[in-house]
Amino acid sequence: MALPKSGTRIRRKKISGMQAMWTKMWDPPKDSPETPELVAATNPVPEFMASLALGSVSTPQTVERILLNNLPNDQTVTWDGLKDLSFMVFDDSDFAPTGAFPGATIRVPRGVIFHCQTQGKGPPPHTIHWHGIEPTPMNDGVGHCSMEIGDYLYQWQPNFIGTYFYHCHRNTVQHFEFGLYGMLLVEPPDAYDQRDPAQPFYAGGYPRRTAANTSAFPQFPGFISGHPTLGVGNAADDGVGDPHAFTVPYDAEALWVLDDRDSVWSDLASNAKAFYPGGAVTNDGHLAAVVDRPGVNDQFPHGFFHDFNADYWYVTGVPVPAARGGTATINPSGPRPTGGGLPGGLIPPNLNSGVTGMQVAVDARVNETILVRCLNAAYNSITVTLPMDAVVIAFDGRALGVPPFARYNHAFLLRAGTPYHLSTARRFDLLLRSATPVSGTATVQFFDTRGQRVAATDPVLVTARIPIEIR
Amino acid sequence: MKDFKRRDFLKYAGAGVATILVGCNSNSNGDDEDGDSTGSNSGPAGGDDLPSGGETETLHFTITDAMKEMITHEPNNPGAGPAECYFWVFQEERFPADSPGPQIFAVEGDRIEVKVTNALDGPHAFFIPGPSQAAPPMVDTGPIAPGETVSVIFEAGAAGTYLYHDNMNAPVNRVMGLHGAFVVMPRKAVAGHKLTPYANPSPGVQQLFDDFGSTPWWPGLAWEEGDPSTDTPPARQHVWLCHQASPVLFAEVGEFAQANPGVDFPADRFVALFLGDPFINTSNDARTDVNASFPVKTTGFNRKPHFFTINGQSGFFAHHNPAIVPMYRVGEPCVVRILNAGLWLHSMHLHANHFYVTCVNNVPQENPLWLDVFNVFPMDSVDYTIPFMRPPDIPNQRGIGRADAGVVIQSGGTRTWPPVREFEIHQPAIGTLATSFDGTRQSDLAARQSPLCYPMHDHSEPSQTSQGGNYNCGLIAGVYFLGDRNTMMDFPMEDEFQMMIDFGRRVAETGPPPGGWPPEPDS
Repeated sequence: MALPKSGTRIRRKKISGMQAMWTKMWDPPKDSPETPELVAATNPVPEFMASLALGSVSTPQTVERILLNNLPNDQTVTWDGLKDLSFMVFDDSDFAPTGAFPGATIRVPRGVIFHCQTQGKGPPPHTIHWHGIEPTPMNDGVGHCSMEIGDYLYQWQPNFIGTYFYHCHRNTVQHFEFGLYGMLLVEPPDAYDQRDPAQPFYAGGYPRRTAANTSAFPQFPGFISGHPTLGVGNAADDGVGDPHAFTVPYDAEALWVLDDRDSVWSDLASNAKAFYPGGAVTNDGHLAAVVDRPGVNDQFPHGFFHDFNADYWYVTGVPVPAARGGTATINPSGPRPTGGGLPGGLIPPNLNSGVTGMQVAVDARVNETILVRCLNAAYNSITVTLPMDAVVIAFDGRALGVPPFARYNHAFLLRAGTPYHLSTARRFDLLLRSATPVSGTATVQFFDTRGQRVAATDPVLVTARIPIEIR
Repeated sequence: MKDFKRRDFLKYAGAGVATILVGCNSNSNGDDEDGDSTGSNSGPAGGDDLPSGGETETLHFTITDAMKEMITHEPNNPGAGPAECYFWVFQEERFPADSPGPQIFAVEGDRIEVKVTNALDGPHAFFIPGPSQAAPPMVDTGPIAPGETVSVIFEAGAAGTYLYHDNMNAPVNRVMGLHGAFVVMPRKAVAGHKLTPYANPSPGVQQLFDDFGSTPWWPGLAWEEGDPSTDTPPARQHVWLCHQASPVLFAEVGEFAQANPGVDFPADRFVALFLGDPFINTSNDARTDVNASFPVKTTGFNRKPHFFTINGQSGFFAHHNPAIVPMYRVGEPCVVRILNAGLWLHSMHLHANHFYVTCVNNVPQENPLWLDVFNVFPMDSVDYTIPFMRPPDIPNQRGIGRADAGVVIQSGGTRTWPPVREFEIHQPAIGTLATSFDGTRQSDLAARQSPLCYPMHDHSEPSQTSQGGNYNCGLIAGVYFLGDRNTMMDFPMEDEFQMMIDFGRRVAETGPPPGGWPPEPDS
């Protein structure tokens, strides 16, 4: 190519002297180190799950995750029967050994020491990144900033109540897309204290509480405030005040995880081992090369991962039975493959940290407070439009308007019919409540991230409707 | 304002990247320390005071083209192909050609002369939008014919972050590389308040900047406050100018322009190909295509972008660039101004700290959200204000997101913060050997887990792995914690980290990839 008229060549920058950093970017170390700064786990949730006979706890107060696994065959066929998608999912050897898409929801009380014993299965290295949780680099699960596992005990302490998720941070474009993620919910410190199912705020059911400042929205009863400046701290700022300070109760909870799949990627990149240094297979079926200089001679197979073209869509693992350009209403309790196969439309307690009753489609009573937790796990962006007024109480595990950070932002009303935009990985928490029956749907439009706000109209890929019934 | 001088913030804003500091005697090619700066000296001498407005800074741009070496995997592997992309560029006379053009920092009211020479074959322009779509543009040269030079004198308008670009044949000329960042700082803080990046901050945004360094939950420095004893600059700020590059399509446009002087490449065709050229399986792995011939790569790459950049850099080169990556201590808040010159949405996720979205498209936010990821649409500007608080989910006494003492660890002796045990770990371990770049010896790849290193990456993941495997070719940066103003001022420094900082400050210095570049393709 004799292209540049100017003859100018812009050279790549110098890297000599930085071989360790260069190599770590390409081929992070695989290791199973002891967790530094180890302290005792205090998470009550695994023992509570064991008390419900959902399974047994391998290590006291410790969550287990194994990656990666395949999804059972009855869950991999697309709604139209045309494709059998490849999935890569987490399993929980204690409570969900066959794995799930999305992975089992981890609930954890604020302030406890959280441990997750994590095993990477098979040769490809993995990590878990706890998206929105902010621990030390070794516990942050990013290979090129620490290491890939192996076998490792992740340790952190959730400091802010709210909605998070976890995913493998290795080759995220492939592994996350193929299902290696799950939800992570931080709850008030006493969320697992009440063990009597007959009592309010029972650990395994509803109502529950979450962080918010709804002082401007008295339609949600039971809000408890706290110190106006210090929030959840006490007045002397040397301890913690009421564990319910700046929380609001909710009677029903729905989880909306919006996702999309590219079946061509599923066909062509189904091998989790392929896209690694030295992972390329030659035409005669051999591994390509011995890698002694990653980033220099690692025979990294070239992918096609710049070119994502979604053709199947999901809401919390429930298929959206619509082709590109179409619109469809999801059916969480319906039989597969067009429905989600969830018993009663509810997420089972072994996939929700022992809590029974979490919904996908909303089914509630008048004068109940409904919490909707929404994550965009799609590579495209979405808008969410509700058939009724809602109040946005939190984004990304940070409740709006909660002191001491209350001076900067506040919860706000999202009017019925107003689309709210969320790009990949964004989350928000909504409160709904109605004194009269509602029968409608929330509308989720998926947009192609290529070309949004370029032409006069944004490119809509598919429209999903999520039923909302308030009786 | 403590320790704050206008020249200082401009100087530090430009450390490590091609930057023009309007009205200052310190135009920076990135290395203030050993004196190889190529900066010109058109501003007033000294420059510690706000400019009178009487001086005019002249910027002389040439609209030209270049072939840029991009990041990919091992360029010497058989069949890997050249990792390069043709661009149109705004070359300022003091700097080597690159896309984007140099960052320009000014203060409201600065007088600036822009002289633009068009050395390409068709009409081009230089354009800076106004602070809103309704406002008149700050600069609009209109068409500049090939060979012609146009000069415009203007005043830096409302404080904010702007994309200077060629607005002709939109979006083709801009996306082909003719763009750069133009930052305007406010002339002063709002009376009775601390400095923010805005002339008219909303109450919530002003309160945030007032609280940094003066409340128990944001211990440390204010944003406007530096600390000479720790080399901490005041008004810490970075620009992340995001872009997407299609080597196939850009070459076609370049060839078309040279073969058809004065004829525009059809903009609608450009957009359609850039966004929607049909998928091609470009993998050479036999498991994805039994007809693929290993190790020869597929040659038929499509016209969608393959390279995703921040300030023209991707992967390793962005992640290890102190001009891009904020590297500060706990208690040293900073502002990142994000721009998107391309046609794809980016969803930029920061690890280690939630950030406040303080400004979108030059509107300070009435309700600044505290987020870990946010959307940046094409042509948006978005400010992330990063508190640089201690990563809050490291175990601590109360567990409520405050700078409490760490928890005493099980084996005793130390606490969870600062994480002195983790500081001593090397990943990979000491003694992990690999053949050196030049193939002459064994190199130890050990890397110390200190200072604390975290990524920032686009969660619209196809921008991450376009060249294959992991994050190391993608639209990525980072956020690094070098110490903590409240406990341990300086964390141990990994040797290569120091080298990165030293290298990063010499932006003009380039070198070949390990093992050298493959032979230049035949012309």
